[in-house]
Amino acid sequence: MNKILYVLDDNKNNEYKYNIDEDTIIYHFSINSSSDIEININKENVTLYYYYANINYDDNLFKIRINHLASNTHSEVFNHGVNVYNKKLTYFVEGNVPKTSDKCICNQDNQIINMADGKSTICPNLLIDNYDVDSNHAAYIGSFKEDTLFYMMSRGISFDVASRLLLNGFLINSDSIDISKITKFLDEIEKI
Amino acid sequence: MMMKINDLCVKIKDTDLEILKDFSLDIAPGEIHAIMGPNGAGKSTLSKTIMGHYKYEVTRGNIYFDGEDIKNLSVDERAKKGIFLCMQDPTVIEGVSNSEFLRTARGEIAGEKVNLYTFIKDMEGAMKKVQLDSSMLHRSLNFGFSGGEKKKNEILQMLFLRPKFIILDELDSGLDVDSLRVVCQNINEYLKENPQTSVLIITHYTRVLEYIKPDYVHILSNGKIQKTGSFELAFEIEKNGYSMIGNDINE
Repeated sequence: MNKILYVLDDNKNNEYKYNIDEDTIIYHFSINSSSDIEININKENVTLYYYYANINYDDNLFKIRINHLASNTHSEVFNHGVNVYNKKLTYFVEGNVPKTSDKCICNQDNQIINMADGKSTICPNLLIDNYDVDSNHAAYIGSFKEDTLFYMMSRGISFDVASRLLLNGFLINSDSIDISKITKFLDEIEKI
Repeated sequence: MMMKINDLCVKIKDTDLEILKDFSLDIAPGEIHAIMGPNGAGKSTLSKTIMGHYKYEVTRGNIYFDGEDIKNLSVDERAKKGIFLCMQDPTVIEGVSNSEFLRTARGEIAGEKVNLYTFIKDMEGAMKKVQLDSSMLHRSLNFGFSGGEKKKNEILQMLFLRPKFIILDELDSGLDVDSLRVVCQNINEYLKENPQTSVLIITHYTRVLEYIKPDYVHILSNGKIQKTGSFELAFEIEKNGYSMIGNDINE
């Protein structure tokens, strides 16, 4: 059974430190906030899923470090942000696997959708000091793809409704999220 | 005419690359037309231009649908008028569920919210028809679907949105024989129930035409129709290749 945590930042600057000893899913929702997160995966065979969704209105910085401090540990980090105005949004996403941790899986997927002409930056860092590691990163900054909008509109969905569906799907990026726990964040999506 | 395309010239936006050159085609209600042609002839450009794809620019000519020039309509407005493009490679949209997508599309086309009970009941029936597992309704749109499942999902959308003009762009690509049969059976049943619906089939091969028999076959080459004939023309092409067209223009 996974441990599941819900975190909501609302116009705050927050620091979080987690020591993970069992399989854990963290859903982190952020409204116009900066966050600094450090996660230590301390026990062998433990898996972490981290889903971060962020609506950004001002200059903000999101930093996350995942430290694989035991062998056979697995992290999957998904960071999705929407930069609404012409502001700076920066993601520093770091995965650390030291020499002493074998057979780890350390993956990260980062995407920021610019809704205006804001300056968004993603710095994906994988600091791997072990030869037996499976590690991937992906980073995308831009708008929703035109082909996606074309497909939706070809089924009769107007541009505005299609964009809203995409926005919801992008920010609520896991099927297993209990939406009753994130009503404030859902309300905020409606305001975009 | 349901679809009347007059002297259509189309180029790729922001380039000088002209793909369709004085292309003309008339399709009456209930007719099935097939367009065949070599790679790069402009077949997919035609289907996407009719749908209003952002990548293409109409530089001359008109596209009339039910007597109205749709050239300047947005993509969704064309769909709302009853045009449906079954895509060669349906787009994967992560985060938007199949059910959410379909219910929204139906609501947009009908101009009103779709009752959840009716929707679920309709979907169950339609999914059984196209032999798609009902769990796919709750998955992200086309995400993790096989080639066959994507095409079946296109047909599911078609059944659900009830268009009056259907474009089938390379329907058989990515489909095994059994899936092709299921997909074509569903299209034929739909056409039987809706005899005024017209179809434009874009294809390389005769395989799909064996299931959905066209009234007319057109050979598209160099951006315009070079030859028009009956169903047999498709088999002639398959046997002899496109070199047989030569300069014999018969529109």
